[in-house]
Amino acid sequence: MTSQDLVILFAAGMLVTAYLMVGQKALFTTIRLYAVQSVLLGAVAIVMGVADHRPHLLAGAVLTIALKGVLIPWFLMRVIDRIGIHREIEPFLNVPSSLLICLGLTVVGYRVSTGLAEGARGPAHHVIGASLSMLLMGLFLMVTRRKAVTQILALLTVENAVFLVALGATSGMPLVVELGISFDVIVAVLVLGILVHRIVDRFESMDVSRLSKLKG
Amino acid sequence: MTLALPFGLGVLQAAVLLALAPLLRGVVKKMKAAFQNRQGPPLLQGYYDLAKLVRKEPVRSEVASWVFVAGPRVYFATAVAATMLVPVALAGAPLEEAGGILVLVGLLALGRFALAAAALDTGSPFGGMGSSREMTVAALAEPALMLGLFTVALWGGSLNLGELVRTTAERGLSLHPSNLLAAAALFIVLIAEAGRVPVDNPATHLELTMIHEAMVLEYSGADLALVEWASALKELLFMTVLVNLFLPLGLALGPSAVPLVIASGLYLAKVFLLAVAVTLVEVTNAKLRLFRVPELMAASLGLGFLALAIRFL
Repeated sequence: MTSQDLVILFAAGMLVTAYLMVGQKALFTTIRLYAVQSVLLGAVAIVMGVADHRPHLLAGAVLTIALKGVLIPWFLMRVIDRIGIHREIEPFLNVPSSLLICLGLTVVGYRVSTGLAEGARGPAHHVIGASLSMLLMGLFLMVTRRKAVTQILALLTVENAVFLVALGATSGMPLVVELGISFDVIVAVLVLGILVHRIVDRFESMDVSRLSKLKG
Repeated sequence: MTLALPFGLGVLQAAVLLALAPLLRGVVKKMKAAFQNRQGPPLLQGYYDLAKLVRKEPVRSEVASWVFVAGPRVYFATAVAATMLVPVALAGAPLEEAGGILVLVGLLALGRFALAAAALDTGSPFGGMGSSREMTVAALAEPALMLGLFTVALWGGSLNLGELVRTTAERGLSLHPSNLLAAAALFIVLIAEAGRVPVDNPATHLELTMIHEAMVLEYSGADLALVEWASALKELLFMTVLVNLFLPLGLALGPSAVPLVIASGLYLAKVFLLAVAVTLVEVTNAKLRLFRVPELMAASLGLGFLALAIRFL
């Protein structure tokens, strides 16, 4: 088993977690899936860093696992615990059709990846294909779910996907950029967490479609 | 090769699998009982039940036509025929020249159709409900099964199960993501087809929750024995396909005695491991609400499709 096999395996695992997130209504499980996805992203970075002797990728991987694999899921679980809303009751689209649409998105993602110079063949093809599919799935999740927490998770999935594209298409971003993005994500999640509290205080629900009532 | 030798082998293989099938169900029941701190029925209970049922006269409704009588027989015959297309301990199926994956799926579909038609025949409401439910699950499980098998076929370069297993046995264990995804998809199909817990409950006595059991509620005596035996055989068949396609370790490449004995032992061990996995799923999950079953099957279909996409695109 070569390092390239491992990279493809982990990237495919990330794709599967994104796919399962779409098929999942329980918020706790969705958060756990996001945590697994982030750890897999870290694993991709570690394998690439070790195989190509790029130590700065290792630092990025450790940061990813610590922040996105542990800290953010823990914070989101706390938010949900406080609010006491555990399930996505009525998504805009039911689960089987969402899953089928996501299959279509996978095809689109993989096809588009062949347009990139690095994405035409080899392991980079799988990595970029999987990450573009994840990107589309994240966007899809964002528009079909009502709960604010799910939308935060969708945003984070998109962010993971972008990170994976960067790993696949380039030799990884410089450490400064990675640090910047990581802290951006942390702050975004903190702010969004507070926003969720405010929405629930106001409407006694996490349903973001109710925000349209605020129009004067 | 003349037809007599492979046919003889096929009959032998079918006989062995038929003899093992009730034991598999007994093992799963015993393990499940052990997990729940119960004693459970004896391992050989399946054989006792079959022996008892065969001795009893089947009671048939007076409005039942020949369809009702033919149902279990066609179901049993297709299951037995399907065993001859599947490699067990030898890397090659006895009747592999007769057909591959498509014939296997077709045979199983034919058996299911015969049983569903038979359940509709007497006009009992439970039979009709059972048929409708079984068909709903099957309509979603079958494409997932095909996608999973096609993924492996694409990798091995053949639609023939015998050839496919020979190729996989030569290449050894593969951890390519598309194979893992296909294995996961086929595992969910196995659970649905065998009527195991998240989809159906084989031990239920509550008619409203039944799927397979509701369909065969009208059968008794020897008819019921045929249905039960064929269902057990089908479960073993699915497990055999799964372990031989994805864990092709130690298959006998030629028909010599020593490798064959080792391969048989390994085969039993692999099926046992898979049975443990099925039991764990049964013990740790509650049965899904009927309307949530399509979600599970859609997930299985999706995994199969992802597997194919990763392989193909």
